[in-house]
Amino acid sequence: MNPLPERLNERLEREERRSRRGGAPPDWLASSTHAPGRDPEVDELVALARRLQATPHLQADPLFAQHLERRLLLRQATVHHPARKKMFIRRWGAHPALRFAFVLCLCLLLVGTSMLEAAAQVSNPENPLYALKRWEQGIQISLPRSPETQAELDLQSARDRLNTLATLASPAHAEAYRYALADFEQQYSTAASAIEDLPAQPDRTRLGKELATLEADARQTLRGFLLQLAVPERLSTTDALGRLGDTIPHLLSVQIILPAQPNGRASINIAGDNVQQGAQLLVNNLVIGGQGSFQIGTYVFTIPWSGDEHPQSIGILNPDGTAAQTTAITLQGANGNGNGNGGNTQGAHGNGNHGKKPTATPTPHHPGPASSQGSAIIVPSRPLVIASALPHRRFPQQEASLAVNAAHTHGSEP
Amino acid sequence: MEAINRLLDRARRGESEALSILYRQFLPGIFGYIAARVPDRATAEDLTSEVFLKMVEGIGRLRASDEASFAAWLLQIARITVAGYYRQREHLPTLVSLEPGLWEEEAFEKREALLASHPDLDPAQSAEIHDEWNTVVNAINALTEEQRQVLIGRLILGYDVATVARMLGKTANAVKALQFRALGSLQRVLAKQDGSEQASHLQTRHRGGTP
Repeated sequence: MNPLPERLNERLEREERRSRRGGAPPDWLASSTHAPGRDPEVDELVALARRLQATPHLQADPLFAQHLERRLLLRQATVHHPARKKMFIRRWGAHPALRFAFVLCLCLLLVGTSMLEAAAQVSNPENPLYALKRWEQGIQISLPRSPETQAELDLQSARDRLNTLATLASPAHAEAYRYALADFEQQYSTAASAIEDLPAQPDRTRLGKELATLEADARQTLRGFLLQLAVPERLSTTDALGRLGDTIPHLLSVQIILPAQPNGRASINIAGDNVQQGAQLLVNNLVIGGQGSFQIGTYVFTIPWSGDEHPQSIGILNPDGTAAQTTAITLQGANGNGNGNGGNTQGAHGNGNHGKKPTATPTPHHPGPASSQGSAIIVPSRPLVIASALPHRRFPQQEASLAVNAAHTHGSEP
Repeated sequence: MEAINRLLDRARRGESEALSILYRQFLPGIFGYIAARVPDRATAEDLTSEVFLKMVEGIGRLRASDEASFAAWLLQIARITVAGYYRQREHLPTLVSLEPGLWEEEAFEKREALLASHPDLDPAQSAEIHDEWNTVVNAINALTEEQRQVLIGRLILGYDVATVARMLGKTANAVKALQFRALGSLQRVLAKQDGSEQASHLQTRHRGGTP
């Protein structure tokens, strides 16, 4: 005999089938008496189940059912619009090719956005993302917009580039610093032109004030960098300061008075503006020891001279970090004979016409002020090299200067 | 009849017709489950409405694709709704009004209607019917949740053992055992309450001097 739960289930299923067929329940279900040969325990449970099924308490009122159905449909009308959209997206996404394209686009969008975001934070021009940042800024700037907006954008861009410089002000990033400095100057100049071209309106006045503020900030910032930089970058920065209207040193002429005998002491007389007391001598961009002194409007250094020295540029390094140099050098023997080589006079690299201190720039073939001081040309019996003080390293501008000097030297030989 | 998975799919897409079919199919089971657990019809109707409104709101997110899973989901909502109802009642202060309350009024109206439709019933009989139902509710509330769900699945929704087993995540034999124990417990509780009511009835009669 089957266990009770099994027997109960069989009986319930039989009753269920009977009721589906529309058959009346047997009398023993309705009464408490049991049919002969039946299972009384199971009968009682089946009867209880039938009573539960039939009780009106567990059956919903038809009016309530209708009313609730209407409420549900109303509710569904407000709730299910978003679900339809989701189903559309799900169906669309179910197509393999479309799904792949969608995922690919999403990935590209994600990667592109992340890269642009990362690039926007980059301030180091050596970083590969810097090019992306420049491109992004270029796109922004080139978009058509009103002149006021364009000028504002140019100004902001110049300020961004100034901020970029702060991360590069060290000898370790010399090249990047020079590039960023040039970049800043170019953007500053663009912003200044854009503001200048604005019609006379309040915007122009306001942006003009902002430009002046940027100029003052830039001067202060660049001055702050000077002492952290190597000599070539100091020269560039001094030059930039000059263009920003700052007071910078400027060399007019350099005269080297050679000693009468080899291994004697040469005198280097530097004429110029804003050369400060305590300035150091620069020969070929390198600091040479020894203090100079002012003597009748010129700054005079006396340095050991072996006779092998070959100076292409002479400059000074002020105590405040500003620097200036020139290639307009006049050599003069102790007997009064001179050799003016012409060249550039500059606060930094370039054409020697920086800031508010214009100067004549002599060339090898057209001697300028430096070489036009009435000195006789002397031809040293051997090349001039400052053997003890100068290392063999040459900077790019030295290479150019060397070429000029070589041409000049050869051209003036008898 | 349309397969339940297609119906569910259409309901998820927001088709009213599919939602109506689902509602009509599952209303007896859900109402039966709730009505078996709360003392009066009005509360049962309120809670049933709440369950189906939640169904409308949640069906878009439902992943169930067969009848058993859908029924289990609905019964789960119903269980939580009933539990919430009892939790709220615990926190409500008991107020005794001198005016007849809504439930009392409703009960009175129902008794009047019952008497009108069944003139052979006297008021004492109708009160007994109401009290009897409270006894049944108490007995059903004394069952375990699984036992209740087996009874609803088997007796009200008319599912076979295999479907109820899928609904509860149990084996067919376990469902048969739960069904047997549920009906057995219900019978015992009802018999006990019947006995004590009869005893109290007899005591009242004895005190009142009725032979």
